[in-house]
Amino acid sequence: MTSGTPIVFVVDDDASVRRGVTRLLRSAGFTAATFASAPEFLERYDRDAAGCVILDLAMPGFDGLQMQKALTDRGSVLPVIFLTGHGDIPTSVHAMKGGAVDFLTKPVTDDELLAAVRKAIERCEALYRAREEIAIIRRRVATLTPREREVLTHLLSGKLNKQIAADLGTVEHTIKVHRARVMEKMQVRTLAALVRLAERAGIEAAPPTEG
Amino acid sequence: MGVNWVVIVWTMMAAASLTLGLVHLLVWFKQRSRYASLVFFALATSVAAFSASELSMMRAPTPAAYAEAVRWAHVPLCVIVLSIIGFVHFYFEAGRRWLVYAAIAFRVLALLLNFATGVNLNFQDVTGLGRATLWGGVVVAVPIGIPNPWQVVAQIGNLLLVAFVGDASITLWRRGDPIARRRALLVGGSIVLCVVVVASLGALIVAGAVHAPTILTPGFLVVVLAMSYELSWDVIAAAQLAAKLHFSEISLRASEEKFRAVVESVPNAILLVDGQGKVTLTNPQAQALFGYAREELIGRPVERLIPEWHRSAHENHRQSDAADARMRVMGFARELYALHKDGSEVPVEVVLKPMRTVDASFVLASLVDLTERRQNERTAARQHDEIAHLSRVAMLGELSGSIAHEINQPLMGILSNAQAAQRFLARDDVNLDEVREILVDIVEDDKRAGEVIRRLRALLKKGKVQNKPLDINSVVDDVVRLTRNDLMNRDVAVSTELTPDLPPVFGDQIQLQQVLLNLLMNACEAMEPVSGTPQVHIRTRRTDGGGVEISVSDRGGGIPAGDLERIFEPFVTTKEHGIGLGLSICHTIIIAHGGRLWAENIAGGAMFRCTLPLSGHAE
Repeated sequence: MTSGTPIVFVVDDDASVRRGVTRLLRSAGFTAATFASAPEFLERYDRDAAGCVILDLAMPGFDGLQMQKALTDRGSVLPVIFLTGHGDIPTSVHAMKGGAVDFLTKPVTDDELLAAVRKAIERCEALYRAREEIAIIRRRVATLTPREREVLTHLLSGKLNKQIAADLGTVEHTIKVHRARVMEKMQVRTLAALVRLAERAGIEAAPPTEG
Repeated sequence: MGVNWVVIVWTMMAAASLTLGLVHLLVWFKQRSRYASLVFFALATSVAAFSASELSMMRAPTPAAYAEAVRWAHVPLCVIVLSIIGFVHFYFEAGRRWLVYAAIAFRVLALLLNFATGVNLNFQDVTGLGRATLWGGVVVAVPIGIPNPWQVVAQIGNLLLVAFVGDASITLWRRGDPIARRRALLVGGSIVLCVVVVASLGALIVAGAVHAPTILTPGFLVVVLAMSYELSWDVIAAAQLAAKLHFSEISLRASEEKFRAVVESVPNAILLVDGQGKVTLTNPQAQALFGYAREELIGRPVERLIPEWHRSAHENHRQSDAADARMRVMGFARELYALHKDGSEVPVEVVLKPMRTVDASFVLASLVDLTERRQNERTAARQHDEIAHLSRVAMLGELSGSIAHEINQPLMGILSNAQAAQRFLARDDVNLDEVREILVDIVEDDKRAGEVIRRLRALLKKGKVQNKPLDINSVVDDVVRLTRNDLMNRDVAVSTELTPDLPPVFGDQIQLQQVLLNLLMNACEAMEPVSGTPQVHIRTRRTDGGGVEISVSDRGGGIPAGDLERIFEPFVTTKEHGIGLGLSICHTIIIAHGGRLWAENIAGGAMFRCTLPLSGHAE
């Protein structure tokens, strides 16, 4: 679960750059954590923390692009800002395709860097928020009985109570009761709101009635 | 008795003998040292005189006339004997001295006794004349008388003469050469034979044992002919010798002319210097080189042509040079200078060849004016520097990314630190400690950037080669730092194995960095198409030969064996876009440093090895 203030992870093999960037981030009120190499970061970073990564592209052994890929493979959504001593176009294209939010060439001014960091954190927070929402919906879905879930999928496919009753082999009144329970448990008042929630949580509608 | 054949023959013998004598007198006049010829003249004249005496003996009308003729015949006879002795003595250059003196003494004594005793040496008295009829009915006088006992003195003298001539002939024979043997046999033999025959015949006639006229002249003539034959040989030999001498003089003159032509036409300046250091021969090239006319050089001390600062050392060298007959080249190890008339110094290469004649020693100095060569060398060096510089610039172009990274890194540190400081300072609660730390970092980063730019500038600079003692490990360090980022981008791992405290090498830092840079980049490129982790290993160490070796080895699969040497030639490249000058420039640079650069294959790759002489050995 997301917790507390966002953290800016600085990964650079150059100690001086590390210190300078960290100071700059602190001066702007960010919390920074530094790592001298990609493996060190991958081993030690706080997986739950929100924030972003400022990643040096050229590092001995395990370089920036490799680390970006490793992060994606682990399902991390931490946005990555690349820093490079000299940026060539193929490398930057590669980095952006890999999901980098920014590709900055050293030396970077504070405004540029801080703007990039803010943007990245915002994106991270948005991602985290969305993830949180889905988690809440999933928790609500989890409270439904199997019969109620069944009714929900049929509701999502836009059927009338009568049709649902026919499909499920019961009477319309019973469906009405189930429908009210679903609306209550999912904490929605209208069918439109229910459909929106279900879409976010990725719940699929039941197939249309045959015949 | 009128004219008969006896008169004719004896007269002819006298005439022949006289003629031969006169011929050799003439020879003696031309060459006064040929005493043999003079002695021969005396002999031949005496034989002629004796012939006349003998003729008058044979034609004597009375015993008294006969005795008189015999008495006077002893005078030429004495001269004949002395002449023979003299001839053999001078001509054979052999024979015992005491025999010479004894034979002379007895003969002279015999001559004195000839006039002091009896009617002559042979007879006490001639009592009558007999008649002997010779061939053709010619009648000649034959003596009848009492023998003079003193004639034994003459006979002892004759024996001594035979002994002397025999002894001298044997000595001559033993000398062994064919001419001496012929001479001993012909002259010595004829004399001995003749004396023995003549003396015995004379003795027998005097004793009355043989009733015959004294016919001695033919015997003497044989001796005269034998001697004349020998002497003629000498004259002919002398003439031949003279002809040979003449011929060799001509060829000597021809070879002298050839020598002169060679000396005049060779491009080198030539000086022949005698043992006293005086110039005895020059050529136009030497005159042009030194700016002097021929007359100004010949006979003058060679030291005048040598710059003052080298003069005293040269004088010492000259003594030992003349003593050592080997050919040697000077001026390779360092430049020698010739002093021109106008005071300028001309760089020269000198080859010295000491020469020795019977009575003197010389040194032949051949000089090549190096002015043009040095100029060409300077031009070539300049061009070489220029190419090396261009190649450095091109190489740094390839490395631009790495260089940008090396500079941008500290710039990034500086900028972020400085802007952080600005932000800290804008706050109310300024943490001065933090700001102080920031400033320390900024200063450090600034120095770092400055250092990169210094290295870069040095490599980009187009300057003269500056050789000085260098720590080769620092050269390696500099290069590895400059290329760090590039190597990282290529995923190349560089490891170094630098032997600490290596003695300094003598060289130009920039050029050596260039070589190493080149080798390093080549190593990286070699590994691009190869799978596996690219690794470059740089090692420095001392060599057994008392130098320093730097080696760069890669894992690029090595170089085809046939290319190991070719790759150092210009315009030979294995790269798609290379122009193939890098390694050839490296090679030229290392050779110019007095070192060696070569490639060899090792397990999985190639190793470039470069040796450099130590600072103290480079000159």
